[in-house]
Amino acid sequence: MYTRGVYALRDLTLTIGKGDFVFLTGPSGAGKSTLLRLLLRQDVPSAGHLIVGGRSLSKMSASQVQTYRRSVGFVFQDFKLIPTRTVYENITFVPRVLGQPVAVQRRKAFQVLKWVGLQHRLNAFPEELSGGEQQRVAVARALINDPALVLADEPTGNLDPDLALEIMNLFRDINARGTTVLVATHDRELIRRVGKQTVTLEHGLLVEDA
Amino acid sequence: MNAVVYAISEAWRSMWRRRGASLMAVLTASASLFVLGLLLLAGTSASRLLERWSAAAEFSVFLADGATPTERAAIERTLGSSGLVAGQAFVPAEEALRRFSRQFPDLAAAVASLPANPLPASYDVQLRPELARDPSVGRLAAQLRQQAGVSDVRYDRRWIERLLRLVGAARTAGLALVAVLTLAACLTIAGVVRLALHARRAEIEIMQLVGAPLAYIRGPFVLEGTLLGLTGAVVAFGVLVGVYLLGRDPIVAWAAGLVAAGDVRFLPLGVALSLVGGGAAIGCVGGLLAARTAR
Ligand SMILES: Nc1ncnc2c1ncn2[C@@H]1O[C@H](COP(=O)(O)OP(=O)(O)O)[C@@H](O)[C@H]1O
Ligand SMILES: [Mg+2]
Repeated sequence: MYTRGVYALRDLTLTIGKGDFVFLTGPSGAGKSTLLRLLLRQDVPSAGHLIVGGRSLSKMSASQVQTYRRSVGFVFQDFKLIPTRTVYENITFVPRVLGQPVAVQRRKAFQVLKWVGLQHRLNAFPEELSGGEQQRVAVARALINDPALVLADEPTGNLDPDLALEIMNLFRDINARGTTVLVATHDRELIRRVGKQTVTLEHGLLVEDA
Repeated sequence: MNAVVYAISEAWRSMWRRRGASLMAVLTASASLFVLGLLLLAGTSASRLLERWSAAAEFSVFLADGATPTERAAIERTLGSSGLVAGQAFVPAEEALRRFSRQFPDLAAAVASLPANPLPASYDVQLRPELARDPSVGRLAAQLRQQAGVSDVRYDRRWIERLLRLVGAARTAGLALVAVLTLAACLTIAGVVRLALHARRAEIEIMQLVGAPLAYIRGPFVLEGTLLGLTGAVVAFGVLVGVYLLGRDPIVAWAAGLVAAGDVRFLPLGVALSLVGGGAAIGCVGGLLAARTAR
């Protein structure tokens, strides 16, 4: 609940299975971003519980939140790449600030870069990349720690349909390897082309789970 | 360990990126620490000087004509048991006359023509330097004045006391100045670190979202502040050494006779090191102030 009694989400009961690939859709303002913010523990709900991996997110201490977030990868519509760092530095930034050894950082970075097909751009800065390439870097960064859960909020909002599908294919690959994926998008056409379980929200209410 | 390496490389990167602002912070810190160092230097020199002057301040016990050996022995006992006296010398009347003639050769002939020696015998008393400014010295003088065989005690401390008050006032003003400058240095550094924090808010957000430990989030900023303060202190220290080496001889020459070369000495090692450490501490506080907002 935001200030002055605006409910972004109401009476929402939703279970997502481990290893599922779920689209979260609905019109703008339906509460998709809010649900993802709750799942990344950027906000806590004013009422109700979120249970992830058997643990309640609202009851976590600050250090438990840190530990929890290390198992979650995230991708945003605006990429959130660090403009002053190269592709390689952007990707290794995550294991680096988690104190992992340089050799491990390097091995993981090459693995995910190869996977998103950007191993030839590792010394480029984000502004030298196309939107699709930037989002692939963001996906690589989300995957570098082998997360159990990946949250993506409108990850293709700034991309044309072909690039969007390319990103979705990356998510499908991740999912095929056992990672739970939750993608928020209002792009019904994209959902139709990917064809996965879809949860629809409207004015903060669950209207469809198919 | 990795956190330290990370903090060092990120702090360095950040300072280099904003080298203009970093330089400004370093210079503010060094200005305040230089003034602090200079005040300490002047202060220790002044108190060393005052101590020497106080010890040399004449405490003389003039004997009445015809003071008996018993009376002299009693006077010596009073001096000896006071605990304030480092040494005493009996100056017979003839010796006093000789000294007077040496100091004022023009008057020597006139004095010599007098029928009798006008100068009394006396004790030249040397006070223990650390007690020379003690109020009990005044009480000793009063006690001696009452004693048989004593004509007068000369113990003029008024000018020394005036000087001491002056030094005390200067010290208070100096401390106030240092407090203001220290605060300014701390806030300048905090401002520069806040700038760095603002420039890197995107990185901080990513760090928060991937669950980076607080040490990684704040460490670089605290270190940046500390390094800025430390660099400022080292600069201040270098300038202080330069000023000391260049200024010592001219000052001693200018105040020849009053100030001896031994009075002007550089800060003791411990004080010098705390000055440099203090700079680092000021910077660290500035860094902490700024980094407090990032969690
Ligand atoms: N920080 C906020 N303060 C108040 N209301 C907010 C805030 N963020 C979002 N909202 C409101 O919450 C509702 C859901 O928003 P959001 O989750 O962003 O929707 P979506 O991502 O589906 O477009 C909207 O009505 C929006 O106006
Ligand atoms: Mg949204």
